Amino acid sequence: MAMIALKAGGRFKSAVSEVQVMVIKAPPGEHRVQCGGVDMLGANAPAPEPAAIDSADSGETLIGKRYVNADESLELLCTKGGKGSLTLGGAALEIKQAKQLPSSD
Amino acid sequence: MPDDIAASLAVAERSAFAIETEAGECYGRLLLQQLGAHPQRSLSVIQQHPAVAFARSGLMWLTGAADGEPQMCPVAIASCADGALAALASLSPEASALDHLRGAALLAERAAWSGATRRGDVSAGGSCRLLSACDARLAVNLARDEDWSLVPAWLQAPAADWPQISELVIQRPADELVQRARWLGLAVVRSEIPPVNRAWANRAWFTTIAEGPRKQRRENQRPRVLDLSSLWAGPLCGRLLAMLGAEVVKLESVSRPDGARSGSPVFFDAMNAGKLNVAIDLTTAAGCTQLSDLLDSADIVIEASRPRALRQLGIDAEARIRNGNGQTWISITGYGRRAPQDQWIAYGDDAGVAGGLTELLRMASGQTLLCADAIGDPLTGLHAALAAWAVYQQGGGRLLSIPMRDVVAQIANFDRPHSASALRTRWQGWQQLAAGEIAAPAADLPRGQARPLGADTAKVLRDWRVEC
Repeated sequence: MAMIALKAGGRFKSAVSEVQVMVIKAPPGEHRVQCGGVDMLGANAPAPEPAAIDSADSGETLIGKRYVNADESLELLCTKGGKGSLTLGGAALEIKQAKQLPSSD
Repeated sequence: MPDDIAASLAVAERSAFAIETEAGECYGRLLLQQLGAHPQRSLSVIQQHPAVAFARSGLMWLTGAADGEPQMCPVAIASCADGALAALASLSPEASALDHLRGAALLAERAAWSGATRRGDVSAGGSCRLLSACDARLAVNLARDEDWSLVPAWLQAPAADWPQISELVIQRPADELVQRARWLGLAVVRSEIPPVNRAWANRAWFTTIAEGPRKQRRENQRPRVLDLSSLWAGPLCGRLLAMLGAEVVKLESVSRPDGARSGSPVFFDAMNAGKLNVAIDLTTAAGCTQLSDLLDSADIVIEASRPRALRQLGIDAEARIRNGNGQTWISITGYGRRAPQDQWIAYGDDAGVAGGLTELLRMASGQTLLCADAIGDPLTGLHAALAAWAVYQQGGGRLLSIPMRDVVAQIANFDRPHSASALRTRWQGWQQLAAGEIAAPAADLPRGQARPLGADTAKVLRDWRVEC
């Protein structure tokens, strides 16, 4: 399932760590999303074949952070943190700035 | 809830006050007892029926349909707030500025300044709504502008306004909507009366998360308070401690200051006047070190973020208390610091719903209503100040978790008639007692102004001996 269609609200899990993400927004078409150098899986997919994290990837994905590509057409929210960096089509995703606080509630 | 616990609680509370005008004093004593604190002078609580207190405070005026009459909430919210404030004032041996305040007035003052009014199932502030899922009622609070960008992911369908959200929500089960919202960090919760669990029998509204060595205070020492919080609950806590004579420093992130700065200036001044202001760049390692050093120097820390926020800055509150120097750490959250609740967020209105007030209003009046204005915020700020002062006086060394939902739930369950018919009977009686007593929220304008962002950074870093 290397190439997958991404829809807002879709959930994916890492094949190499605890990381889980939810799609906030995504460009149309099919894409390759990886964590730690290995394709991510649908959240409800069966347990994967054991896969090893890319040894060159020392990154970590943090819970609550939003991750975006360069033009911010893709936005993923990390719902469970863990080892491995997120990539889209091989390009690293970056942390988006934290949500501003509300002025009142 | 286990029936035996409910019954014993109900009995304990009934015997606690035979006369309803004593509700506030009984509640204040209950709080002191739960904290193991001893009043240094008598509790001074105005003797007023809970229904009259609710009506005169402005809270009743803030509850009800926009085009309908104000509605009574059949729990002693205003009296409990009076009792909590009196309990706090009683911990100071001498008269303080608190003696001139009423707890109930603190709950409605924001609406007095903003001019907000009752809007039925929409919050006074406008960001929270009560919506029907296919099987239950929910509070949905989209307080941050950016929350709207998460709505399509939450509902897995495009929705750009409240009517579109309502149409999608009513087709889905509540549990699924709440679970998905929690993954996204949205404040969505079911309207229900929280069960009273066994651990709550004595200490409903706070949990000691970590304990460490205590320290003996010198007489007349002025405690240093570091207030990391924003919006309403935490800042109110800091304000009350300042009124008791503490030196309170409000700390904000340069890149992400308190959102209330961009709201009503009167409200921001009221909460934060009398506090020194420090601004630090928490995106740099040097800024995180300064934060850590300031935390080391504080006697009391007020903090109202999710636990992961400080953890991601390399600050471990639990370890600091366990290995610490007798610090008092007050952690205000929506639902507590334990997993998975530590990831859930709440604001004052939805915390009131989670604490049971909307369900009690529905059982009593038949209407679907939010209770007053972000009620969970000021109630929690009041309780947090009492907890902070009591623990500080006992030598500190504790991290207390104070979830807003649990503060509201304790009040909702305090002397509550447990059958629906008894609740309705009380509501009818209280509604009648309130007739002719209903007042709009009123509050004096704040006397001072809040300090500008970072105005005291250099002074505090110097005085608290933190390297710049």
